[in-house]
Parts: sequence; C-alpha cells; structure tokens
Amino acid sequence: MADPAPAILVRRLSKSFGRRAVLRHIDWQVAEGQAVVVTGANGSGKTTLLACLASLLRPTSGEVFWFGHPAAGDPAARRLVGMVAHDHRLYPHLTLQENLIFAARMYGVAWPRRRAEQLLESAGLGPHAHRTPPTLSQGMRQRAAVLRALVHDPPILLLDEPFAGLDADGGEWLAGRLQELRALGRTLCLVLHDEAKARRLADAVVQLRDGRLESRGTVSGPCLAGLARAA
Amino acid sequence: MAFPHMTARLWWILWKDLVSECRSRRAWPAMLLLGIVVAFTFAGQMDLPPDEQKRVAGGLVWLAIFLAGMLALERSFASERENGCWQGLRLCPVSSHAIYLAKLAVNVVALAALEGVLIPLFVVLSGVPLLAHPAAMLLVAALGNVALAAAGTLLGALAAGSRNTAHLLPLLLLPMAVPAVLAAAEATRLAMDGQFGTPWWQWTELLAAFAVLFTTIGIMLFDFVIEE
Repeated sequence: MADPAPAILVRRLSKSFGRRAVLRHIDWQVAEGQAVVVTGANGSGKTTLLACLASLLRPTSGEVFWFGHPAAGDPAARRLVGMVAHDHRLYPHLTLQENLIFAARMYGVAWPRRRAEQLLESAGLGPHAHRTPPTLSQGMRQRAAVLRALVHDPPILLLDEPFAGLDADGGEWLAGRLQELRALGRTLCLVLHDEAKARRLADAVVQLRDGRLESRGTVSGPCLAGLARAA
Repeated sequence: MAFPHMTARLWWILWKDLVSECRSRRAWPAMLLLGIVVAFTFAGQMDLPPDEQKRVAGGLVWLAIFLAGMLALERSFASERENGCWQGLRLCPVSSHAIYLAKLAVNVVALAALEGVLIPLFVVLSGVPLLAHPAAMLLVAALGNVALAAAGTLLGALAAGSRNTAHLLPLLLLPMAVPAVLAAAEATRLAMDGQFGTPWWQWTELLAAFAVLFTTIGIMLFDFVIEE
C-alpha cells in the first residue's frame, strides 16, 4: 500500500517581497500527527512561512500541499487548515458567540450554535459569550482566537506565537488544549520561542535561517540547544 | 463549491456586514448625512423654471448618490482589515467570487438605502417629478445601483489592500463610474418626462450593460485584487 500523503508537504517554496527573498527553495514535510516548532530570529520569515503554508500568501515559486491537496487549489481544501495568527481575527462588533457561529457557518459546520457554545464553555469563556472582543482582556481574545481556529476541527493547525498575551492560566489552558489535539492525531506547526513549551509540545524543531529551514532534530535530543539563542 | 453552499455563505457574509454596520454605525449615517447635505445644497441652488429643473435634476440626484455612496463603498473593505479579519475570511473555504458577490450585495443594500432617502428628499425639496413613473425610476435606480456598487466593490478592495492607496477610492472610481452615472442621469431625465421611447431604452440598456460588465470584471479580477 502506498504511503499516506504527509499532512504538510512543501516543494521548492520561495517567497520574495520585491527584491528581498524571505524564503528560499524550501523542501519540507510534516507527517500527520506530528507537532513541529519553527523557530528563528526576528524577521527571519517565520510568519511568512506560516502564511504560505496557510495559502494566505502566494509563493513566488514552489508549492504547498495539505494531505496531497494543492493549497492553492480548490477553496474547499481550506477546511483542512486552521490558523492562529498574531491578530485575533475577531469582528469587533459581533459577540464572541456570533464570531464563532459566523466562522462555523463559513466552514459549513453542522450545528454552528452548539459548536460555538461547546467551544466557549471548554475555554471558560461561556460567561463572556455575549461580549464583544474590544470589551475583553487580551488573554480572553487570544483564547477566542484559538477557538475560532478550532471551530471546524481542522486536521492541521498552524499557530504563530499562540501564547502571546496569555497569562499563566491561559498558557496552561492552551498547552493542555494543544496536547489534547496531539493526542487526537492533529498535525501542529507552531512558531515558538519558549524552550520549555517547545519541549512539552513538539516532536521536532526546525529553524529558519537565511530563508532556509534547518532541522534541529527531535525534542528528545539536543535540538533545543539553539532555540533560545535563535529566539 | 455547490451553489446552495455558496449562496448560504454569501448570505452569512451579508448578515455579518449588516449586523456590524447596524451596531457600529460607521459608514451609513455619514453616507446619509452627506447625501442629505448635498441634496439640500443642490435643491437650494436650483432656482430654475420647472422644465430646466427637470433637465438637471437627474444628473444632480445621481451625483449626490455617487458622492455619498463613496463613503459606504470605501468602508466595506476597510472594516474587514481590522484585527486581521480579512485574513480569517480568506482562510475560509469560500471562493473569492462568493466574497466579492457578498460584498457587492452589502454595497447594493447601502446604496438602495441612500436612494430611498435621497430621491424622495429631492422630490420634496425641489418639486421635480422624480417619482412620476415609479416603476421606471425603480429600474434605473436598481441598474445604476448595481453598476456603481460593482465597480466600487472591486476598487474598494483594491484601495483597502494598500496603506498608500487607502483613500484613493474616489480617484479610482470616478473615471470608471462616470459613464454609468451619465447613463443613469439621462434615463432618469427621460423617465421624469414620460419619454419611454427608443432613447430611454438605449440609456437603460447602456446602464444595464455597465452593471453586467462591472460585475463580470469584478468577479474575474477580485482574486488578483485581494492578493497581498
């Protein structure tokens, strides 16, 4: 039987902004169920890489595949991916519940209201369901942003510094949630600078340097030695 | 994407935008206020015999709709850019065509609300018989509305996509919309006079052609326009 397609497959991916090459000929793959941390210095292109993986940026050259589906192809394939970015992507004049219901409807989730309520309760945001994002703390908004990315239960989750803005409780909640997702076989790709969190959450670490990805090995090995330095 | 799914998503984007606008009151009140000010100004300056008033009223009404409608067209994408919501929407399994059509529908509703206020206001202030033939006026208003909204939606997305061109929508839209505004003004003038002969049909067909053309161009180019 043929090997299953990797969750994320990147072929000769390059991305330039004008003359500035941010990503150069990256070949990479992430197996289904794997959790990978991407690290690198500020401005090294981590966010650009995640945006290309999410199909939000069109690569200058090269391709991205999700489970064998071209990321730049059928919009329906976007169901395979969820993303937590720097900004929370919540509409300021809709309540948290309405934001999640709207996202669920966009993804064609079967019972949008029930799904939104379930997610909000799971994150301790049930009592705040009818508040709008500007009236919430940054930590609450960040939790809601994570819920928005999870609303359609994507098999691939891309997270760009997801712990930013979370307090200790929030960080613990998110780490627990990500461990649950790993246990469920979801594929995670995280941009992180925190060695302890990377050790807890990831199977492997890769580093972006000069637009190229360098493997730093598995978390159980000495790969994390350069993580704090890179950050 | 199957048609019912696309229609459902289109409807929910429309719902989201209308609910957001009702709560934020960012674009529509300013649009209506500007329209009313322009209507008062034009009506106050039209110290002309009734026949002359009829000749210029169509153009002034459509100029007022164009100027005030610009505010709603400009806001339709600018609001989406807050908090990265636009990226969130683009990540959804929705075709860019559906997003364009949903935004077009929102702008059509905004311009219809504007026309619903401005046309009766012109009638009251200047006494010109804009509503003497309501069915014809409704047809011209609907076609002019779609033509303006289709061009404005595409160019609004283009203007909102760049920090440097965020306020350039009027400059971008004006040359594209002028032929449609002229056609609407002429069709309105002839409809007021009850002249539904060949010239009225020609202007109305031209207006319909602009509506179809701008919508088609919008659907075709939207994907390129929203590329970061």
